[in-house]
Amino acid sequence: MADKRVIIVGGGLAGLAAAIRIAEAGLAVDLFSMVPVKRSHSVCAQGGINACNEVARQQGYSEYQHFDETLYGGDYLADQAPVLEMTNFAPKVIDLLDRMGVPFNRTAEGFRDLRLFGGSLFKRTHFSGATTGQQLLYALDEQVRKLAVQGKINKYEFWEFLWPICTEDTDDKRCIGITAQDMRTMQIRSFRGDAVVMATGGCGLVFGKSTNSIICTGGAASRCYQAGAWYANPEMIQVHPTAIPGADKCRLMSESARGEGGRVWVPRKKGDARQARDIPENERWYFLEEKYPGYGNLVPRDIATREIFDLCVNQDMGVDGQNQVYLDLTHMDPGYLTRKLGGILEIYEKFVGVDPRFEPMKIFPAVHYSMGGMWTQYTPGSYEPSSPHGMHNPFDTSPVDSDIGKGMALGAPNNMQTNIKGLYAFGEVNFAYHGATRLGANALLSCIFDGLYNGVSVANYVNDCEPSKNPAAQFDQNIYDAAVKQEQAKAQKLLNSVSDGPADDATNPYKIGYELGVEITSASTVVKTGKGLSACLDKIHALNDRYQNVRLGDAASWTNQTLSYTRAIGDMLVLAEVIVKGGILREESRGSHYRLDFPDRNDEKFLKTTVVSYQPGSDDPHQVTFRDVDTRFVKPRPRTYGKTDTKNAESTKSDQPETATA
Amino acid sequence: MAHASTIKNFKNTPKPDRTVQFRIKRCDGPGQPSRYESFNVPIESGSNVISCLQYIAANPITVTGQKTTPVVWDAGCLEEICGACTMVINGKVRQSCSCLIDEYAPHEGDVITLEPMSKFPVVRDLWVDRQRLFESLEKVSAWVPIDGSYDLGPGPQETPQQSEMRYTLSTCMSCGCCLEACPQYQKEDDASSWDTSFIGAAPLSQARLFNEHGTGRQLKGARLDALMGPGGINDCGNAQNCVKVCPKEIPLTESIAAVGRAVTIHSFTRFFTGK
Amino acid sequence: MATQKNSPLRQHHFLLRRLHSLSGIVPIGVFLILHLTTNATILWGVLNSRAGSDMLARRVGTFQEEVSFINGLPALLLIELTLWISLGFHSILGVYYAFSGRPNVREYPYPDNWRYTLQRVSGYVGILFIFYHVATLRWGWSFLVPGGTQWSHNFAASTLAAAMQGSEQGYTVAGIAVSLFYFVGVSLLVYHFANGLWTAAITWGLTISEQAQKRWGFVCAGLGAGMMLLAWASIIGFATLDYDAAAEIEGAMHSETNIPAAAQSHADNTNP
Ligand SMILES: Cc1cc2nc3c(=O)[nH]c(=O)nc-3n(C[C@H](O)[C@H](O)[C@H](O)COP(=O)(O)OP(=O)(O)OC[C@H]3O[C@@H](n4cnc5c(N)ncnc54)[C@H](O)[C@@H]3O)c2cc1C
Ligand code: SF4
Ligand code: SF4
Ligand code: FES
Repeated sequence: MADKRVIIVGGGLAGLAAAIRIAEAGLAVDLFSMVPVKRSHSVCAQGGINACNEVARQQGYSEYQHFDETLYGGDYLADQAPVLEMTNFAPKVIDLLDRMGVPFNRTAEGFRDLRLFGGSLFKRTHFSGATTGQQLLYALDEQVRKLAVQGKINKYEFWEFLWPICTEDTDDKRCIGITAQDMRTMQIRSFRGDAVVMATGGCGLVFGKSTNSIICTGGAASRCYQAGAWYANPEMIQVHPTAIPGADKCRLMSESARGEGGRVWVPRKKGDARQARDIPENERWYFLEEKYPGYGNLVPRDIATREIFDLCVNQDMGVDGQNQVYLDLTHMDPGYLTRKLGGILEIYEKFVGVDPRFEPMKIFPAVHYSMGGMWTQYTPGSYEPSSPHGMHNPFDTSPVDSDIGKGMALGAPNNMQTNIKGLYAFGEVNFAYHGATRLGANALLSCIFDGLYNGVSVANYVNDCEPSKNPAAQFDQNIYDAAVKQEQAKAQKLLNSVSDGPADDATNPYKIGYELGVEITSASTVVKTGKGLSACLDKIHALNDRYQNVRLGDAASWTNQTLSYTRAIGDMLVLAEVIVKGGILREESRGSHYRLDFPDRNDEKFLKTTVVSYQPGSDDPHQVTFRDVDTRFVKPRPRTYGKTDTKNAESTKSDQPETATA
Repeated sequence: MAHASTIKNFKNTPKPDRTVQFRIKRCDGPGQPSRYESFNVPIESGSNVISCLQYIAANPITVTGQKTTPVVWDAGCLEEICGACTMVINGKVRQSCSCLIDEYAPHEGDVITLEPMSKFPVVRDLWVDRQRLFESLEKVSAWVPIDGSYDLGPGPQETPQQSEMRYTLSTCMSCGCCLEACPQYQKEDDASSWDTSFIGAAPLSQARLFNEHGTGRQLKGARLDALMGPGGINDCGNAQNCVKVCPKEIPLTESIAAVGRAVTIHSFTRFFTGK
Repeated sequence: MATQKNSPLRQHHFLLRRLHSLSGIVPIGVFLILHLTTNATILWGVLNSRAGSDMLARRVGTFQEEVSFINGLPALLLIELTLWISLGFHSILGVYYAFSGRPNVREYPYPDNWRYTLQRVSGYVGILFIFYHVATLRWGWSFLVPGGTQWSHNFAASTLAAAMQGSEQGYTVAGIAVSLFYFVGVSLLVYHFANGLWTAAITWGLTISEQAQKRWGFVCAGLGAGMMLLAWASIIGFATLDYDAAAEIEGAMHSETNIPAAAQSHADNTNP
């Protein structure tokens, strides 16, 4: 009998962690990635990874507090059980990474050092310089390399996932493989898999310029969605407060800069033309510290972003009258900064030409992360409080211990499985953990947690469920051949457009992509309005019409990047519609989703997950339903972060604001 | 949109709104002839080579008005951390994403030449196949041999100095600059010669990295054995170009010397103990 | 490198590489130092008061004594053989190794890269030079010497001067070329040795940190500079030596004692 095989699409932290765990379970793993896995987008992550630790514990912190913070940060939109399991599991993730050789920063005595991060008053973020994602990714990459040498993992690098192959049966739809294309030879092939794990990361490229890598198109998720997988909370897009806008992308200045003591300010006097260093302390407005005395510069990202945005766009208080504020580290010891933040300071120096150790950085918000993603399910664990708890304070006894299996049932085959059997979603492409805002340094955790913890579920599904009776290896070859034909036809159609002659502005795929980014960034990021979103949706439809006549500039049958990009543009347009549609229907403000016309949170109507399913052919193909959020553990409370001046909170005047990322 | 942070404090004061010419070495695929094509690209402040390539992709028209295909290149992070976008710019290897036009070509009509790396087979245009580099990492067992991914407590404790030293080595992004600039590292189209042709600085430095880890040390012998043969440490000619072109400023020549010492000791021990 | 799977070059790669490194220092480098010191007596021989009072006589005499001493060494053949084998081994392997590199100073004009490239070039030139030097002076291939001077043990300084100047009467154009070749050849060899000594410390892992490499670099540069001075001293010494005057002094030395008794007696004095 043929091997039991699992396909993993994506070689970021989530995909690699899953590959390791599933290969260790004895299943053959085929790992697909558009880039060598070592170059996956996770390499960009800078600040760190959260987990409860001994030092924080002795100061009153706990796994439960981490759990509580994550829910609060996410404005209670996340189902609580998976979050509890993740935060309980977090210390194990750190230990494992440590054993793998991640060079975590150390204290003088040799213990792992910790730093402060957004949304917490405790140091609970483990880090490796300011390139933590790189170090974690490399550690996992090395382990995967080892397993690949042992023949347990097959890497397909420079292969693009095209479509999931599913059984027809609509009620009991099952994923049994994928089609993929070799980006060099352009060969399109089908692969059989008893389970398929999507770990394809975020969709920043939909917004044109973001902090993401240029491969983060969201194309893979969009294809799964179009193949029948549900998409959840699409409107929840995180805009990071501190980035450097550039011509090709916005480069992130990690939250760790603030975690290590960085202060955000603008001159108190509008249009103050003096150099930063010439402005005395009492003429600087540390507006975050002033408004949020507790968390100060470390309020969650959506809040900091809106404050900066409001200041620059509505009050015109930006430095030099531009859309920018100071992020200041100059009061700190340069040697200390180099040790703790070297990686990001270098980025600033390289791309702006100024040394941030001696001159304050100038930053502005940029699109960063998608809390929304493919919808997934789980089996609840053993913790069942009679009623939800209220606010949890430091030193309070945790209502539940941190053992495995309290939040989710370990190994349950449906953990983080989509609505399609055998199709899983891990990492950023999974909507499960971050609700309406992700706390800094929780993403790396959720990615690795997904891979390690829910990798077991994948193995169990393959060993015990449908695949054990009816393995993918035994399905009719025709299903796979048909899937390949379908993709070949799509590609051919695009290639044929070359013979229609050169593209004009209306049919140039790069221009369509660019315009999409501009439109959706201005209407659907920091501040949204119903009117603006509707107008944006119309524009996306218009772009979609243009896309139907798109013309490629390259007919090559070898390494045709234009083909790959143009195909992705089509999928990004679909995803963009979903994102905007979700934003229109969520008539409230919650976390990163801020509606000027509905500025308050509305738990009664919208403490619900937006779930979108694709119904091609119908008038509006994006069918939205709202599903209740699991709030059995903690009672939602207002999310103020101790703001002092609530009257002026997040007030904005402009109706059609724009961001610097446009 | 105007944004003041794009005002650069570089030595050159770039001329605003200028046009820069890109001369790009193109090749349609393995075994195909190569040719140069030139493109005029308008420069906005903050432009880098990547944003210019993006412009060319959207407007693939040469200086002579010829319609051509978009240039193919490799990129990922756009912040010099993934290593993908390495190419030869004006004769020197470096990352193209961190190559800012204001710094590189501050004048109207400046020419920037882009070529693919020469030590790796070209896939198409500026995209090369660096698989050999990743296989070299297999050759030196560049990993910590842990028992598995289940929870077994923390890893070995180490001093901040040790971890800082390993961190520095561990920032290698497998970009291949050090290999491109090394006079001893040769292009090998035939994968069967990879094993015996000089391995280059990056994998040597990775061998040192893992030899320095408490658990990684267990494979030290195997790593050194692999590096004692043809293509190993001894084929380094000490030109020290590697350390100068490494964008991560990894002390590669120190790594080479450290591996040299380890190999010396290893060979003596083996000679006298038979192990 | 396109070596066969089981070729000895591959099987003993490490050993050969390290022997190559070692042989450049011991015996070749050590010999080079001694040889240069000996030759330089043609200048610093003036300090040797035992060789008479005339300055020229001191220089020529001391040099002649040294040559005779070396020629009289016991087991000279063995010493010579060791040198031959080492030189052959170091050269052949060196050329083979050097061919595996492709210099790129044009693209990467760093000082270290020049150093690397010059190490290869100096190797090639050095081999040519040593061949010429040995062929003309040791094997007596006088057809390669402009003017056809045959070097003689007993008239060591004068015949060498004639060989380098092109004739017994002084400079000829070809003679200038030979002198220049000596200048270039010896300088490159000294460079080759000093730089080789520096890189050997990296190869063997003696110097690891950048500072250590830098410090050792100063030591090697100092040694190289000293040797360079010796080398240039010898060349200047011979290139400016008057053939007739030197030959007269040598002739006088040999008429005093029986040839090669001079060497013999000297050897007896120093080698108990
Ligand atoms: C600049 C920056 C800094 C960050 N810093 C932090 C931080 O400090 N802490 C934190 O917790 N989080 C941080 N994040 C967020 C975090 O990095 C990401 O959410 C996380 O890395 C996502 O990992 P992933 O495994 O889900 O996907 P990715 O790492 O994005 O990997 C996606 C993988 O899928 C593959 N793929 C995609 N599409 C296809 C396709 N069609 N076919 C085949 N393969 C495909 C890609 O090749 C890639 O291998 C940061 C993010 C950014 C942008
Ligand atoms: S020191 Fe060695 S590895 Fe580095 S460039 Fe020179 S020959 Fe290559
Ligand atoms: S050592 Fe430096 S130059 Fe070489 S691959 Fe690594 S990062 Fe690139
Ligand atoms: S694109 Fe990642 S290094 Fe340039």
